[in-house]
Amino acid sequence: MSRFARLAASAFLLLSAVVVTPAESTPASAKRLVILKIDGLNADLLYDAMAEKDPATGKSRLPWFQHVFGENGTVFDNFYTRGITLSAPSWSMLGTGYHTVIRGNVEYDRYTGEAYDYLNFFPFYVEYARSKEVDMPGVEVLDRAGVPLLMDSFGFVHSYQGFQLFQRGVRWRTLNSTLKKRFSGKVIFSMIESGETPSLDSVLLEEEEVELERGLASPEIVYLDYFTGDVDHEGHETTQPAALYDAMRRLDAVVGRIWTAIQQSPYAAETLFAVVSDHGMNNVPGVMSQTFSLPDLFNSPDGGGHHVVTDREQFSDFKLRGLNPMRHRVTTPSTASFYLKGQAEQYATAWLDIDGNERAAVQLRNSDLNEIHILLQQLQRPDLAARVRAAAAATLKALIDRHRAAWEKTAEQMTEEMQALAARIAQRKKQLEDVPRKWTHEDEDNGNDKEARRLIDELAQWEHEHSGYTSYVAHLRALLEFQSSPDKPLQRPISELVPALSLGDSNSVHQLEHYVIALSPGGLVVGQDGHLDEERSFKYVNYFELLAAQKVHNNPQKELSPKPIDFTAMRLPDGLYVTEATGPQHAYLLYGDAASQLVILTDVSGLISVRPVKELTQDQSGKITWTDQPWRAGLPLQLFEDPRSNIPSGENRAAWLSAWHSEHEWMEAIHQTRYSNGVIGITEQLSPVADNVPGPRGTSPVLLRYERRRRELVQADFHVFAADHWNFNVRFPNPGGNHGAFFRISTHSVWMMNGPGIPVEHITEPYDSLNFASTIMSRMGCPPPMPGKVVPLP
Amino acid sequence: MSVVSQILVGAVLLAAALPLRAYADRPQSTTTAERNQSEYYWRSIPVGETAEIVTLFCRPPTNSGGVEGEIPLIAVLRDTLGDANPNNDRLTYVWLLTYAPPNLEQRFLSAIPFFYWRVGDGPDVTRPRDTKPLLNLAAPEHPVFSDGMRDLLQWTLLDPSTTPIRATSRAYRTNDIDHERLHLEEAVSYLRLAPVSDDAAGLTRTQIYTVIARLELRKKMLGGFVNEHQAARLGEEADYQQERVRARNWELLRQCAEKTGLVFEPLSVGGTDGQYAMLWFPVKEASEPLGTSLGPVWKLLNISDPWRDGRLEDWRGPVFHRKMDDNGTLLPAGAPGGERVDLLPLGVYSLNYPKLPLLLVDFRDKLHVRWHEMTQRSINEITAGVIGLSHFTNWYYYVGADLYNFVVARHGTAVEQSARLDCYSQFRVQLALDHQLDPVLRKEMRERIKVLEINPLEANPALELQAAHARYEQLEKDARPDGVLVLRLDKDRREELASFGETKKQLARDGALHMVTLGAYTHRTPREGEELAMLDSYRRAQYQLNFLDSLVNAATEPEVSYESARIESSVAELAGLMPYVNSPAMRVHAGATLQKLEGLSHDTTLRAGCVEALNSIQRNSAPAQPGAAPGVSAGAAGAGVAFHISGADGPK
Repeated sequence: MSRFARLAASAFLLLSAVVVTPAESTPASAKRLVILKIDGLNADLLYDAMAEKDPATGKSRLPWFQHVFGENGTVFDNFYTRGITLSAPSWSMLGTGYHTVIRGNVEYDRYTGEAYDYLNFFPFYVEYARSKEVDMPGVEVLDRAGVPLLMDSFGFVHSYQGFQLFQRGVRWRTLNSTLKKRFSGKVIFSMIESGETPSLDSVLLEEEEVELERGLASPEIVYLDYFTGDVDHEGHETTQPAALYDAMRRLDAVVGRIWTAIQQSPYAAETLFAVVSDHGMNNVPGVMSQTFSLPDLFNSPDGGGHHVVTDREQFSDFKLRGLNPMRHRVTTPSTASFYLKGQAEQYATAWLDIDGNERAAVQLRNSDLNEIHILLQQLQRPDLAARVRAAAAATLKALIDRHRAAWEKTAEQMTEEMQALAARIAQRKKQLEDVPRKWTHEDEDNGNDKEARRLIDELAQWEHEHSGYTSYVAHLRALLEFQSSPDKPLQRPISELVPALSLGDSNSVHQLEHYVIALSPGGLVVGQDGHLDEERSFKYVNYFELLAAQKVHNNPQKELSPKPIDFTAMRLPDGLYVTEATGPQHAYLLYGDAASQLVILTDVSGLISVRPVKELTQDQSGKITWTDQPWRAGLPLQLFEDPRSNIPSGENRAAWLSAWHSEHEWMEAIHQTRYSNGVIGITEQLSPVADNVPGPRGTSPVLLRYERRRRELVQADFHVFAADHWNFNVRFPNPGGNHGAFFRISTHSVWMMNGPGIPVEHITEPYDSLNFASTIMSRMGCPPPMPGKVVPLP
Repeated sequence: MSVVSQILVGAVLLAAALPLRAYADRPQSTTTAERNQSEYYWRSIPVGETAEIVTLFCRPPTNSGGVEGEIPLIAVLRDTLGDANPNNDRLTYVWLLTYAPPNLEQRFLSAIPFFYWRVGDGPDVTRPRDTKPLLNLAAPEHPVFSDGMRDLLQWTLLDPSTTPIRATSRAYRTNDIDHERLHLEEAVSYLRLAPVSDDAAGLTRTQIYTVIARLELRKKMLGGFVNEHQAARLGEEADYQQERVRARNWELLRQCAEKTGLVFEPLSVGGTDGQYAMLWFPVKEASEPLGTSLGPVWKLLNISDPWRDGRLEDWRGPVFHRKMDDNGTLLPAGAPGGERVDLLPLGVYSLNYPKLPLLLVDFRDKLHVRWHEMTQRSINEITAGVIGLSHFTNWYYYVGADLYNFVVARHGTAVEQSARLDCYSQFRVQLALDHQLDPVLRKEMRERIKVLEINPLEANPALELQAAHARYEQLEKDARPDGVLVLRLDKDRREELASFGETKKQLARDGALHMVTLGAYTHRTPREGEELAMLDSYRRAQYQLNFLDSLVNAATEPEVSYESARIESSVAELAGLMPYVNSPAMRVHAGATLQKLEGLSHDTTLRAGCVEALNSIQRNSAPAQPGAAPGVSAGAAGAGVAFHISGADGPK
């Protein structure tokens, strides 16, 4: 064994000793943890089926769920996804117990265009096989942010992890056995007999189950999990109750087999068995989910004529390119582009995360960068009148000057960060000189090879990032130093000044209200005073109004509104509205239309207040103004009119909603409403992500700032939430159901437990994703990630 | 041509001569499904005293035009053994009553290569052999063998012959296979509309799924080998899959309409919902959407861009005046409110095609879809029939062809000929049964779907529906105590008895002998008068064993999934029946199942029951008399079950 391997093994053993042994410190604590992770299972659907008796069997329709949890364990009747109801962010919270640093299923770095594609397994397998990657992208992001996975507490050698989004490493043996089974003579014979061809997924799940049972038989393994996405897929595809029930029945059989294996295992009486789902599913029998194409809107002249980036092809089943699983970024050119015709690959200006189904994250190129780009194009024209050229050059200079302070600060800080990163790169290269190239089976079993490959992988990432950010800073500096000639056409290529595949800084509310999409049809207009008349020189779009005004032509289902967009949401800048003693820390806007808006405020102690407003706007100086309005029906989240809200008796509803309350109070009051915990969800989704990045232990302040910046750079300008039964998934139709928004049917998730000290109880108190890991770890006798989030059980 | 037909043709010609003719004064009744929904129901007739034929009927609304009165569609023979216990029921024959076997003239034409027309309306005489079952559920493997024999004959004898022999034999075989598939799919589409029956009048959900699965499996090369337990499950899953496909295509087509500025309307045809949809071109209201390249969308829709189509500027077909509400929904004709929109029909799509909405009717180009079908058929005939390319020796051609198909499929072309045929089959009968569509639109569709009749073996669907009555009457005659069905049932039961407890090897041997002798030899027990009692014991024992196997295969505590009392009752019944089962294999099977069950259960009573049952089986290893089996009402005491092989001279 090499020196490195010995070190790594010692570290593992030490870690294992530290984290596994506390199980004995609490009498009721468990020694082993088994988690069944179910993607996209709505709690109402499951609990209703559990409670229903099947006349054919005389038992529950889901007898094992009912037996293990309903009759002999704890069921959390009101467990909700915190934040948006998407797999990547939700599993990250369930799997870590910390606030999320991942806010979508795909995220793009605004400066470099780097895509973080959290749902795509295939590139991970390929890169793992090429020894280029070790962990799924989500795990890499968490590691860089310093947020540990729950399973890390148990150590590699004591854990068995199923194939899932937040996966460490790949077990080739599992895949190998799966492929062998898939093409075995037995399977082929069974295909003839049954007429069915088992999918690779189903064989993989079977193999994982076999391995899980094998793991349960081994006293060494104390953490096991099993992930399945079957119900989620079924829920997306169909609204047939029988088909959904069929999928749940298959899951029920899995529960039965796992439970039976637990009972036969060495820790039968000391195993904590938990079932959890990441989100629900807006799936209603008889109502098909319809897609509204945001790419089409942003491609259109009204939408700005953007070239649009998504993570997958639209109608991917009907494109050869759709077969390429290695693509993270697909550009759909606009045929109506105003000033970037033929430059879709370099200058795609709208980047969308529409994997969110019921919500989309939108990142648009900074409006001022558009204006700069247009002005540079004009300055390249040899036929531009001298007066217009001078006015355009002056406007360009003014624009750059408007950003000068901020850009100089960014360039300065990023240069410092790149220097620190370069030092780390050199350090890592030296460190890797001692890392062996080949590993023994023992090393592999102990995970030493993966530890070493993680270091190599991280080095490759750093080098890639260093190159990307350095290029961005170079462009920024070039722009800051740019001097335009008052009488000669610009000769320099624009690509030297305006970086390709880059969006620049986030857009402000003002910019989104007044977004530059094109040169006006009349070209640049110079006013009497010799200055460029910007209002007449450019075409603008107000995106809040545009999105609110969308209406479809083909809406054959009367259950659906012809307006596919419910509201848009974005974070407002801090500190612009300190009007009260409590001193709000952050503010978030929910825009239904000009007359129907909410502002959600949070303070430093975590209290939340919601204000109904209208006509919120921001001027060019950054000042935000709005008009207060009384609470009424028809505002985003429908808090005022919802009869299912549980406002404390005797309280004035409007006064209560506008007052400051703790998260717990909000949860109690609104979790049963149509938008369930949407108020809290907005604060989780839109809060400054940097606050949730502690950074890896020992990180220098400069590199911690760098890690926080990287996370901030993937935040969306705004999020679009779909109206009920609408979705934004243009990859292929999802007519069954969708998730992503705050509708209770999407947020209501499953959490059930059985094990030592777990009471037989249905808990009706509402809880959310953050309670899961802390409670589980507490029951295991381990330190919980967030002690305040441990659910007190008898 | 009849006078009515001439008048209709004249009317069509007149209509075509009037450009942009509007007929706002005509009563329009599109999608008034509630009023005009056809009713599907079951009716049962006895076959002797121990079986029954359950028939699915369709009753179109009265005075709705088209086919009037109730129409028998599909019939299934259910062998009940004369009791009310559903556990020993068995489905055997399936008749598609609308199916007319092609006449000699049609068969001759079908052997002519490159002949893609239906001549005449098809057979018009109802002959006794018209009631030949479409499928025998009790022997699903038989067609697999016969198809294999035919293929072997084709490859070894006909293909190596001269081009005319190869081409004609292949043309005949292709048309024959397509014709059978057309009717298999027709039967499936009727069954999907059938109500689930909770009583003896019709088929239960499981039975419907089983029949659907068997019909679907008949289309697959080795489908007949799928075992009994899997069939119902497959039928259920096929149903789910069909719904998934429809939902996906529905939304795909709606999205395409939204992208292209067209109007999407789901259609109810012949009592179906969600299986068809239509795209309309809005004459005045909309304009072509900008910003996105629509080329791939037109390809997917399989129509040319209507925004750049001169034919629409000089449209001579009907213009439909409809109303659209604020919600974006086309309102049914006559509904109040809404804003008027003038629409030109563009295309009718089947939503049942597995990959994408399949264009069935192109209102601008009548021959468009036909041309595509004929081209594909011609290519196949040239390569396999005329040139004689073989899958074995010229595999590279077929690999290339598959690759080409894969690429064009990825660009939105419907390349699966058999799936297209299924969609066409469904549409032709549902359109024939339809009373819901706007009559003018329906007439337009019927005119255009006719051009897809490229198989000379096909018959006029409207006449097929009319002839179904005659076939049903013939079936009623056959079901009388002195009818042929009673005799056939007796033979089948003795064949079933002979197969009980046989190993797979023995079953394969029997099947092979049956095939080699062209059906002259069938392994049956001799007639002894106790068949019913024996079958009752066997079927019930098999039923209970299947149930207990399902519990054992789950490998979990059985009493969690099922009430202990039910399992105990099943164990007791199995133990009580085993003495009457003369099958060592089944005894071993039952013993193993009970042993495993005992090992899995934590219920002391159930475990004791299993042990007792095991002991009972071991004690009673010698077969008992069938008449004494508990719950058996028929049959007399005999000398046990003795199996004999009956040859060609045996009772049939």
